[in-house]
Amino acid sequence: MSLEIVSQLDWQMVTEVVDQEFGEGVTKTLRGRLMPVSKKSKKGISYYLVSSDWMRFLQNKFTDFEPAHLGRRFGDIVEGRFRFSLSMLDELKDVTPNHLVVSGKGAEAFTYGRSILKESVVEVAPGLSREQRVVVLNKHGDCLGLASLTVDSERIGRLGPDRLVAKNLADIGWYIRNE
Amino acid sequence: MAEKKRKQRAKELAKEFGYLPYMTERYLALWGEEETLSFLEACEIAPKTAIRINSLKMPIEQTVRRMKRKGIALKRVPWLEEGFTADFGDRTPGSLFEHLFGHYYVQGVPSMTVVKALDPQKGEVVMDLASAPGGKTTHISQLMENTGTVFSIELDRLRMRSLVNNIQRCGVTNAIALRGDARKLDGLGVAPDRILLDAPCSGEGLIPLDPARKRSKTMADIRYCATRQDELLDSVIKTLAPGGVLVYSTCSIAPEENEYVIDSILGKHPEMKIIQIDQEFGVPGYTQPYGVSLDVSLSQSRRFLPHIHGLEGFFICKMRKEGDR
Ligand SMILES: C[S@@+](CC[C@H](N)C(=O)[O-])C[C@H]1O[C@@H](n2cnc3c(N)ncnc32)[C@H](O)[C@@H]1O
Repeated sequence: MSLEIVSQLDWQMVTEVVDQEFGEGVTKTLRGRLMPVSKKSKKGISYYLVSSDWMRFLQNKFTDFEPAHLGRRFGDIVEGRFRFSLSMLDELKDVTPNHLVVSGKGAEAFTYGRSILKESVVEVAPGLSREQRVVVLNKHGDCLGLASLTVDSERIGRLGPDRLVAKNLADIGWYIRNE
Repeated sequence: MAEKKRKQRAKELAKEFGYLPYMTERYLALWGEEETLSFLEACEIAPKTAIRINSLKMPIEQTVRRMKRKGIALKRVPWLEEGFTADFGDRTPGSLFEHLFGHYYVQGVPSMTVVKALDPQKGEVVMDLASAPGGKTTHISQLMENTGTVFSIELDRLRMRSLVNNIQRCGVTNAIALRGDARKLDGLGVAPDRILLDAPCSGEGLIPLDPARKRSKTMADIRYCATRQDELLDSVIKTLAPGGVLVYSTCSIAPEENEYVIDSILGKHPEMKIIQIDQEFGVPGYTQPYGVSLDVSLSQSRRFLPHIHGLEGFFICKMRKEGDR
């Protein structure tokens, strides 16, 4: 499980995938002046953003130790698809319009790992199509996780209350479910 | 108390309060009858739940307001701006959304005090050893406002997962979490400004929280812990930068894991000196536990004791390594 500084070419690939889903320039804004580092594991590749000042530590390769986390976890590529880490969502919500706001009850269910039904939807960004990934927020604007729409956002209004609207991809309840 | 009489009394107390007799015998030798009784009685009462409000996610006052609106009664710990005792009523402390958002960390008052004593500064390189599940790592990052670097080192693979979760939940971005043995720091090539060693210990201070501890550990376990603590400290002292600060803490009240360990370290490492902790809390560390004379500077270390402070037992010692930074 070795760490590598991500090459420009590889980062370009991540940028394309992320920007396509969340909007042009999103990756650049989130990265700021940080340096992307990757870690390969059996499950896939994880990307981290670290201060370039940490080059001096990275060069030493952490002999005798196995890196488990560094800086901020940006996201992972699992089975060929990129997924943002939970800890980036707070920043992601400020740079993408792709939001889905849920009710209190919906927030409870979602953070227990459930998907989102029409009755829980308070608001959804217009013009999004099926399979679009959205940041899920509660009514106060707190970030609850990430979901994938199962219908075009324009059609949601016409659905019955118990119809599935978005599939849970990751939610903050995971922090304690995974303890 | 004569030895025979003490042994007899220890047996009676052990039976009455449900302890192994070697423990009550040590308490009698350390404190005498009256203080031992008051300790045993205090250990029957669980300390109040406490939380540290995480200013990395939201300003402290804002979280306080938010929690009060939800009916959580909070009371600030006098020497900790970010520390509060909290009454969650019939809810569990981890069940609020604010917990998932990383707005607070459920943590004992002594644990928060350890990091306050370390006093990490912005931009420094700090090491937190034996760090899972990360209560202290996330607090260090909070005080450093996510600047500099915190090396968070833990041996156990499963506990590592909780550490990483907590780092992410609390919005920590200045940490490097490494899995490995803190006795092998050489290879890292880092000379930190500060090191916190919250050492693995027998947990003898946690009886008020975990009554099973009254019977779960033997004297051999305590000796085993003391040996490992000594090895960890040796490794730490080699690694610490000249002029650097070391805080050693345990959640044990056993002098065998605290004052004895530090006394032997001071003997082996004349470059290490105990220094004063700025905050006012606890009582002084012991310089004559069980009648054995130890380095007098140990009176500058601090202890939390269930019967004096109504908290879990803890030991905190701050030291400085000779030299200029
Ligand atoms: C008292 S707990 C630490 C609590 C932690 N400091 C906190 O505040 O959340 C002690 C930890 O030391 C770890 N440990 C034991 N031996 C170790 C070693 N040689 N190197 C690194 N960690 C070790 C244990 O797995 C355990 O997680």
